[in-house]
Amino acid sequence: MMSISLLKKLVCAGLLLGLVLIPAACKPQRERPKMKIGFMNCNSAPETLQRFRPLTRYLSERLDIDFEAVPVDTQDFEERFAAGEFAFTHGNSLLYIILKENHNLQLIATEKRGQFGARTAGAIIARSDSGMKSLQDIKGKRMVFGPQLAPTGYLAQYNLMLDAGLDPERDLAYYAIPSGSYKHEKVIYAIYFGAYDVAAAPALDLEVMIEAGKIDADDITILGQSPIIPYCTFGAAEKVDPQLVERFRKALVELTPETTVDIDGEQVKVLKAAWIDGFEQLTDTDYDLIRSWARRANMPPYQKF
Amino acid sequence: MGRFDRHGWLILLAGAALGLAGVMLAAWGNPENSGICVSCFIENSAGALGLHGNERMQYLRPELVGFLLGGTLSAALFREFRSRGGSAPLPRFVSGLFLIVGCAVFIGCPIKLVLRLTAGDWTAVAGLVGLVGGVWVGLRCLAAGVHFGSGRRQSGGSGLWLPALFLLFLGLLFWQPTFLALSASGSGAQHAPMLISLGVGLGLGGLAQRSRFCITGSLRDLLLMGRRAPLVWGLAAFFLVALVANLGTGQFHSGYYGQPGSHLDALWSGLGMLLVGWVSVLIGGCPFRQLIKAGEGDADAGLAVLGMFAGGALVQAWGLAATAAGVPLFGKVAVLCGLVFVLVSCLLFRERSST
Amino acid sequence: MIPGDRFDRVLVVLLLAVLLSLGGLLATQARSGAGAVTIDRNLERDLAARARLAFFEQTYAPVLSLQAAGNDQQALMKLEELGRRYPGEAHGDILRAASLLRLGALPEAVAAAVRAVRRNGDYVDRDSPFSQRPVIEQLVDEGLSSLAEKARLAPGNATLGEALKNVYYLQSRLAGGCE
Repeated sequence: MMSISLLKKLVCAGLLLGLVLIPAACKPQRERPKMKIGFMNCNSAPETLQRFRPLTRYLSERLDIDFEAVPVDTQDFEERFAAGEFAFTHGNSLLYIILKENHNLQLIATEKRGQFGARTAGAIIARSDSGMKSLQDIKGKRMVFGPQLAPTGYLAQYNLMLDAGLDPERDLAYYAIPSGSYKHEKVIYAIYFGAYDVAAAPALDLEVMIEAGKIDADDITILGQSPIIPYCTFGAAEKVDPQLVERFRKALVELTPETTVDIDGEQVKVLKAAWIDGFEQLTDTDYDLIRSWARRANMPPYQKF
Repeated sequence: MGRFDRHGWLILLAGAALGLAGVMLAAWGNPENSGICVSCFIENSAGALGLHGNERMQYLRPELVGFLLGGTLSAALFREFRSRGGSAPLPRFVSGLFLIVGCAVFIGCPIKLVLRLTAGDWTAVAGLVGLVGGVWVGLRCLAAGVHFGSGRRQSGGSGLWLPALFLLFLGLLFWQPTFLALSASGSGAQHAPMLISLGVGLGLGGLAQRSRFCITGSLRDLLLMGRRAPLVWGLAAFFLVALVANLGTGQFHSGYYGQPGSHLDALWSGLGMLLVGWVSVLIGGCPFRQLIKAGEGDADAGLAVLGMFAGGALVQAWGLAATAAGVPLFGKVAVLCGLVFVLVSCLLFRERSST
Repeated sequence: MIPGDRFDRVLVVLLLAVLLSLGGLLATQARSGAGAVTIDRNLERDLAARARLAFFEQTYAPVLSLQAAGNDQQALMKLEELGRRYPGEAHGDILRAASLLRLGALPEAVAAAVRAVRRNGDYVDRDSPFSQRPVIEQLVDEGLSSLAEKARLAPGNATLGEALKNVYYLQSRLAGGCE
């Protein structure tokens, strides 16, 4: 049987331990710095948030910074970035060039998706039974483009036509850009269902739709395709500490398909949620082809009035 | 160095012949840098016998048959054939299994290690470091009293059965029954003409039996006796002749990357060969030496050879073998299991002085 | 060992009888094949290889004709469609590697070739009917000249490092060895 003096010692030790541990447990957590990432909307703000919330959470955990995802329409992106609304950006490669040329954006990493990895291409397509075999056959036809600021939905195809000696402003019967969201899919369905003769389709969207069984490869003829160019890109404002940029890059490049984060009690795969296969570190010179296209097509950031 | 005696010259000859044959067999059709590789040959032969299903590695290697039977013929001719054995049979069987595991993770036996080095494959350096390290550790274990025991002279002809088995293999080589698998592609389909392979195997088996040549034995002697040991000179002859032959036949391509039958996982190359060196010292010889001893009637070595066949089957059937892509997870696990086995064996087989 | 007593002699006689029976069995039954259930693995394997080759030629014929006509993107789309029916098939990956190479996606082409070769080593064999050595050699040559230089200039770039590792793997497989 335990002696009373030993019991007293044990009680005192327990009280002392409690006095030390309880304040430590109640200590408030250190405030993490807060930063915002502007994500370019592909189709809608809710879709953007759903896609990139897990990635944002992952970056917060890796970098010990409270990141907030901000969905931004493409047309408003530069203005809101210049206003300092967000320090980090995620947008297409043309947007990267615009922000780089006008605001000295730092290149972080490029998104990998599809068979070309961190690159993609733009194609000009027609239905396989249209009788068209080459780009010359699109003269006098009705064409539908993707959004104007889409490098592989408009810019690549515009340049393809210029390369083939075709003037998009004169040699087509007319051209249009669909309204609303899902423009890239709409242009493909537009020729599939005969609403238009020719479409400017990103190679990635063709790949995704075939993989999903929405169209068959035999339904489409590719009349021409651009060289491959970088895909969607993460960037950082000029003022962001280069060491933080390097850590951000490392966090992205080290992502694997198995990486998960907890979202509302559910373990969510970060890359799968974002529709991404991974990230790759490219260099600024990898974007030079897009720069030459933009100059040629009189597009931002080289637009002259 | 002193003048070599007759035995010394025999060792030099065995080393030089091994070097020349190892290179020429590759030139005559064996896989690149694998003119002679006991572990690869055992994996191929195990496949031919139906012990694994890797269709690219199924061919009953005549060289293997020749090594053992050449040893038998030489031992019989010089009245050195003795049935002996009975010391730690099952541990020797398991040792043989892990010898092949270690070789499969490195992609080659100690003979192939030297052939790779002399062909300019710098990835083999990690294996060499591991092999020398393993031999050194093995010697320390022997010095500390670890002993698997010596085989005793046995009546009943126990040492005859492995040569008998290999005689059967010799018969299969000529008969070519339909149950013997034969690769149509891959390294199993790459082989020198059968009679040449068999002849070279028999010759080398005889030379090795007479000279007692052994790669790990040479390293052991180098560590114990330095340059005085004749086996060391045999190894040097092997190295030099193989180097000259590789240069002469255009098979020397110096570099770290893009070497045939190699990978870039230096750590596991080293650990695999560490296992091989360590086990070889404890059981009295490298895989090649086990074949020769089995041919001389050593049933303990015969069990090691049977263990090697089991290992050859397992590394292919279970995907333990390394490839140019690297070492698979279970290959690494197997090497570590091998190290566990050898450490436990050292604990259990150690004779401790009662002070 | 000389047979001593009666028991030894009986054993020797039985041994000779069994050996003679074995010899007789091999000499007679082996020729007639009566009651035999032969395992001719090599014939089965040969038939399987021919069937596989015929299957590839038929299934991937549209891809090959598109590639021959220079329509590599169309070929990739067709491979995507075939990939739905035959996921993980190595032949799709090796054909994909060829098209990706022509379209300028070198790291992706190398990765596709590595996937194919790891699943089927016949693509690097010189004499195999499945051999794709010319494509793989081109991937290695271009990989060593362009990727190696880029990796040298950007030593911390993990993506380039991984792509270069793939090139070295293909280079090693082309060199041969026990695999």
